[in-house]
Amino acid sequence: MREPVWEFLIVNYLFLGGLSAGLYFVSGLATWIQDRECKPAYPALARLGALLAPWPVSLGSALLILDLGKPLRFWKLFMHVRWRSPMSIGSWLLVAFTILSLAYLWSWLDDAERRRWIGRVPRRAYAMLPAFLRAWLEADGAPRRRILALAGLPMSVAVGIYTGVLLGAVQSRPFWNTNLVAQMFLFSALSSGAATLVLLRFLSKDRPGLRELRFLYGLDIILMGLELFIVLPYLIHGNLSSLAVKEALGLVMGGPFTFAFWGVFLGLGLLAPLAVELWEFKPFLLGRGPFHVNPRWAMVAGALVLIGGYTLRYVFVFAGQATGF
Amino acid sequence: MGTKTKTKRYAMVIDSKKCIDCKACVVACKAENKVPEGVFRNWISVERSGDYPKLRMTFEPEQCHHCDEPSCVRVCPTGASWQREDGIVLVDYDACIGCKYCIIACPYEARYHNPETHTVDKCTFCVHRVDKGDLPACVETCPSKVRVFGDLNDPKSPLHQLLATRRHEVKNPQTGNGPQLYYLL
Amino acid sequence: MERRTFIELLGAGTLLVPPLACKLRGPIAAGPTNLNGIPTTCELCPNKCSLLAVVKEGRLAKLNPNPENPKSRAMLCARGNAAIQQVYDPDRLKQPLIRAGERGEGKWRPVSWDEAFDFAANKLKAVKEKHGPEGSLWSSTEGFQEVFFKNLGQAFGSPNVMRHPTLCLASMTLAYSTTFGTVPSFDLLNADYVIMAGANRFESIITPDTMDLIGGTMERKAKLIYLDPRFTVTASKADEWHPIKPGTDLAFILAMLNVILTEERHDKAFVETYTLGFEQLLEHVKPYTPAWAEKETEIPAADITRIARAFADAAPRAVFYAGRRSSWYTNDFQMRRAQAILNAVVGNWDREGGMVPNRKVAKGEFTFMPWDDPKASRVDEVEKAFPLANAKDGVYLPLRENVLKGTPYPVKAWMIYKQDPMHALPDQGKTLEMIQQMDFVGVVDIAMSDTAWYADVVFPESHYLERTDPIEVMPGIWPAAVYRQQAVKPLHDTKPMLDIAQGLAKRLGLSDYFDYTIEQWVEAEAKELPVPNGMEHMRKHGVVGFEKPKYGTTRNAVHRFVTKSGKIELFSERLQEAGHDPLPVYTAPAQPPANKFRLILGRKATITHAALTNLPWLHEHNRENDLWIHPEPAARLNIQTGDLLEVSSTAGTVKIKARVTPEIRPDCVFMLHGFGKKSAWLRRVHNVGAADSILLETAWDKVSGNAALHETFVKVGKA
Ligand SMILES: Nc1nc2c(c(=O)[nH]1)N[C@H]1C(S)=C(S)[C@@H](COP(=O)(O)OP(=O)(O)OC[C@H]3O[C@@H](n4cnc5c(=O)[nH]c(N)nc54)[C@H](O)[C@@H]3O)O[C@H]1N2
Ligand SMILES: Nc1nc2c(c(=O)[nH]1)N[C@H]1C(S)=C(S)[C@@H](COP(=O)(O)OP(=O)(O)OC[C@H]3O[C@@H](n4cnc5c(=O)[nH]c(N)nc54)[C@H](O)[C@@H]3O)O[C@H]1N2
Ligand code: SF4
Ligand code: SF4
Ligand code: SF4
Ligand code: SF4
Ligand code: SF4
Ligand SMILES: [Mo]
Repeated sequence: MREPVWEFLIVNYLFLGGLSAGLYFVSGLATWIQDRECKPAYPALARLGALLAPWPVSLGSALLILDLGKPLRFWKLFMHVRWRSPMSIGSWLLVAFTILSLAYLWSWLDDAERRRWIGRVPRRAYAMLPAFLRAWLEADGAPRRRILALAGLPMSVAVGIYTGVLLGAVQSRPFWNTNLVAQMFLFSALSSGAATLVLLRFLSKDRPGLRELRFLYGLDIILMGLELFIVLPYLIHGNLSSLAVKEALGLVMGGPFTFAFWGVFLGLGLLAPLAVELWEFKPFLLGRGPFHVNPRWAMVAGALVLIGGYTLRYVFVFAGQATGF
Repeated sequence: MGTKTKTKRYAMVIDSKKCIDCKACVVACKAENKVPEGVFRNWISVERSGDYPKLRMTFEPEQCHHCDEPSCVRVCPTGASWQREDGIVLVDYDACIGCKYCIIACPYEARYHNPETHTVDKCTFCVHRVDKGDLPACVETCPSKVRVFGDLNDPKSPLHQLLATRRHEVKNPQTGNGPQLYYLL
Repeated sequence: MERRTFIELLGAGTLLVPPLACKLRGPIAAGPTNLNGIPTTCELCPNKCSLLAVVKEGRLAKLNPNPENPKSRAMLCARGNAAIQQVYDPDRLKQPLIRAGERGEGKWRPVSWDEAFDFAANKLKAVKEKHGPEGSLWSSTEGFQEVFFKNLGQAFGSPNVMRHPTLCLASMTLAYSTTFGTVPSFDLLNADYVIMAGANRFESIITPDTMDLIGGTMERKAKLIYLDPRFTVTASKADEWHPIKPGTDLAFILAMLNVILTEERHDKAFVETYTLGFEQLLEHVKPYTPAWAEKETEIPAADITRIARAFADAAPRAVFYAGRRSSWYTNDFQMRRAQAILNAVVGNWDREGGMVPNRKVAKGEFTFMPWDDPKASRVDEVEKAFPLANAKDGVYLPLRENVLKGTPYPVKAWMIYKQDPMHALPDQGKTLEMIQQMDFVGVVDIAMSDTAWYADVVFPESHYLERTDPIEVMPGIWPAAVYRQQAVKPLHDTKPMLDIAQGLAKRLGLSDYFDYTIEQWVEAEAKELPVPNGMEHMRKHGVVGFEKPKYGTTRNAVHRFVTKSGKIELFSERLQEAGHDPLPVYTAPAQPPANKFRLILGRKATITHAALTNLPWLHEHNRENDLWIHPEPAARLNIQTGDLLEVSSTAGTVKIKARVTPEIRPDCVFMLHGFGKKSAWLRRVHNVGAADSILLETAWDKVSGNAALHETFVKVGKA
């Protein structure tokens, strides 16, 4: 076992980055899908996602900077574009994503909200902003929501993938060095976005409607299903792989990370919520009886998905570093 | 081995069987390069096997392999990790932000986070000595002369001749890094 | 890979690439090399390697090996490299100290040199008045300024100047000089067959032997046979490792002699011309058959026979290496004598690849005012009890017994230079008792050793990199004269031993004997070096060495060996007269009773004796010592690696962690030296691990008086 050099700050960073991507992605879908009146089909959901999306990633980036040996030099990241360095590309990507998600958030504010926020900026400072930006900030965002949502879909997929590629592109760590990691991280990121929204929609004053829930559940089930289909091949493939990979996998197949991986990530974080959601979805799936949701179960499922997502990053970050060639 | 060019390609040959695990190279490196306590630019890995009284113990000196395709350089987001024309892989301590990505990306565990400077550090092949025509500190001090340092592209160098006449291997070539420490068999 | 294939491969390479062996064959003398750094000489162990101190802005930046010294073979070991840390060690001695609390309490009063000198001189005078000068003991371990310390003791009038050899190599040197009239070196660079019995050359570094064993013996397909109850680094490199039963090496050697002589494989012409007592020897070794030796040594008779034959066949390029620390068993002298005899009969004397009498580099001597011989005889009664031993060096353990008993007269003042008796002597309890019965104890050291911790006055000597020392001649096949010159100014309020001797001499009325400076001393020595402008040369190079070894100078009919008969004495009348066996007689060593183990000792490349364990760069490799114990007894005692053990002997008890390892025989346990320090100024090893000297019982070799440090049985159990 080797000592890890990336620890919980990085776990958090990867998780939070993925969470933002998930939030933006789900919100984007909810915006993009329209009802018969050409309005966003799930506006409450879309707005909640949009309002939340920029923050986890911002916090994550702050953590990343804190984790640097020389935090005050973080700006040097933006003095280079290094195509072969996932971290370089990722840093640029995260900045672009954060800006985009802020713009998206802004588009979901109503007039009063916008004015209130602008009002908080000192006059003279605000006046110094270029006119087109001021005009943009003051204009009604509603017409832009859809285009920003659309732009956000590939962007959030990219961010979700990036959190995996950052690890997966390290050829010296056999535990990480497979394309499956990026996909696993992506689907886990997106489903953690969906799960957060499930959780928060039940906590908000206006209870979610059944249609909205059906949308969220459907999405979550698909994402978790995909994740499961990535995890299993990852394990099978790994076990049929070269010794270095097999040894690395040993850490989760019967080593220090076995419980975290099987018990927490796979059992509690994936299979349990999947089961809950499928159970709740049963009437819909079977076309029998009305679709109804037990809020308590829904919230438990959402929380479990988040715990699973976090554990996935934890296991990968630590187990990956513990092994090598 | 390096291609036939006029430029130098520094490398090292290691005759592990001569190594007596005396740690002279390790301490010399610490002294030469002000390596802080608890971290190392070079080390000796020990392998033991067998049952009493048929025992075996072997020692292998290790350090940065100054790879031809250094993954540390590839992943570095700031360009702080870089490679000289002569193959020596270095860290620009003023450019390094300490993200530690290169530590993770190095298959040979050659890098460490320097707890004093908070940047990443590793074996430099003692460039400051080599550029003056001296040998790296670890090479010079070794009682058994386990290490031979030199220019792969110079057919007259003892290093080149050793590689031409002795069977040798590199560690974990499957990393694809093209490591440049040659271990005699 | 099998060793054999490896060796063949090695051979293939040597054709094109000159191995170390060839390159070093002609050491450099005065070649104009471009040396960057101040040439000086390492002081961290007895090897005295040459080095170049790189100084930047008044601070030591790096120590590099000086390739001009043929003996140190262009290397500097881990310890040599770490010397910089001694200078800048925050824990080092920085000014003279006088004890403020009880002995060992660790309360000190920093004082001026004047006060320290006055204090010590008054104490010494008081002892002299009451007990005479013989009431003082002056003990030291080798070092370039040791001469000034010894001279002070002698000028003071004490017969009790006590040096370290009887803790170290006295039985070996006496055995070889009894046989050959001199102590030779072993040409490992050129030998084809080497037998080493517990001479752990790859961990106990001796120059040039350690390097030559690799660069010579191993590079050239030579054979290395290694006997040791432990699987050491040397064992791991050897062609054969035989875990010999401790204390039975003599049986192994006698059986080898038996095979060689009965099969007439010895060098008949050589034996005829140069030796005395072959007939007696032949008769003597008859009962010592390999079958008999197998029972004693637990090495198969067939192996002994095979090794004996191969050894004789390879001669004269074959050596049974003498070893250096011979403080092993109570019959150590006779075991080393048997080695010497074995080497003699195969005729490897003064031959390339054999055993070669040492050469020396000539140097001058500074003449100073002589003093009167002491009136009293030595307190250790060495002349009476050990008539063959070197009376000038004394016998340390018998001395301690006498001092404790107060016979033949009381000794009440103890001055100590560059020595740590609390760890170097077995039975720390007794050494403490000896300290406690003194009226005065003064220690000259560079660090707060455990002995200094119990002293009344501590004189901080300047570090070797801060001093200029006398020129020292290192005899050998590749002899060298080396010089130690100041690289940096003393960092703290410290003084070299000469200045300390002068400061004390002034107050003791002995100034006339120390009426010179270090420069005058060194210049007198340098004048007669075999190079032009000796002093200039030494300042620039730090060393004078010889180009090539010389073989065979003593192999001629007119050569007289410095023995009674002028011949190599296989049979020794001198021994007989002194009441010892004239030929080595085997007595089986006592065996540990059930559930007890023999405690054996040995070195590690990153530690010197009991010192250096506190230096960070070395401490990193030795954080704590532990007790090696074989898996079989460990299982019986339910001991696992890491368990805290209680280990006890009749001398004392310690607590130490277990290391269960197959790298030691089941009947022995082993621990490293240099831990379990009482001195709180050795922060990293203070109360860390355990001190072997607490466990070791007092025993000595019968002929030489050399300490016998492997005669202790210990009881081991979980704490
Ligand atoms: N238990 C046990 N006892 C042993 C041995 C063993 O292996 N185990 N080995 C034996 C052998 S072979 C030997 S040679 C002896 C060695 O016995 P010692 O000579 O006592 O050995 P060291 O432990 O090296 O102690 C030397 C002391 O000198 C100090 N010193 C170092 N450099 C200088 C200097 O420049 N000036 C001054 N003034 N002081 C200095 C160090 O700080 C240290 O306190 O021990 C013998 N005793
Ligand atoms: N690194 C380092 N090098 C040193 C020193 C140092 O302190 N550190 N000190 C120097 C000095 S002063 C000396 S004297 C030399 C000492 O160097 P050596 O003469 O090599 O002595 P030790 O290292 O004490 O080795 C003793 C070995 O003998 C083994 N042994 C014990 N009992 C028996 C036995 O009955 N038969 C046989 N065959 N073997 C046995 C032990 O397991 C141990 O490995 O080293 C010198 N070199
Ligand atoms: S200095 Fe040489 S022999 Fe000693 S540990 Fe290093 S490589 Fe091995
Ligand atoms: S060994 Fe590691 S640090 Fe050195 S060049 Fe190769 S990848 Fe980089
Ligand atoms: S730690 Fe420094 S050298 Fe390593 S990848 Fe990051 S910026 Fe580059
Ligand atoms: S080449 Fe220099 S930096 Fe590299 S391990 Fe050797 S001494 Fe250290
Ligand atoms: S062997 Fe090491 S400690 Fe001893 S003198 Fe040489 S360099 Fe110094
Ligand atoms: Mo010694």
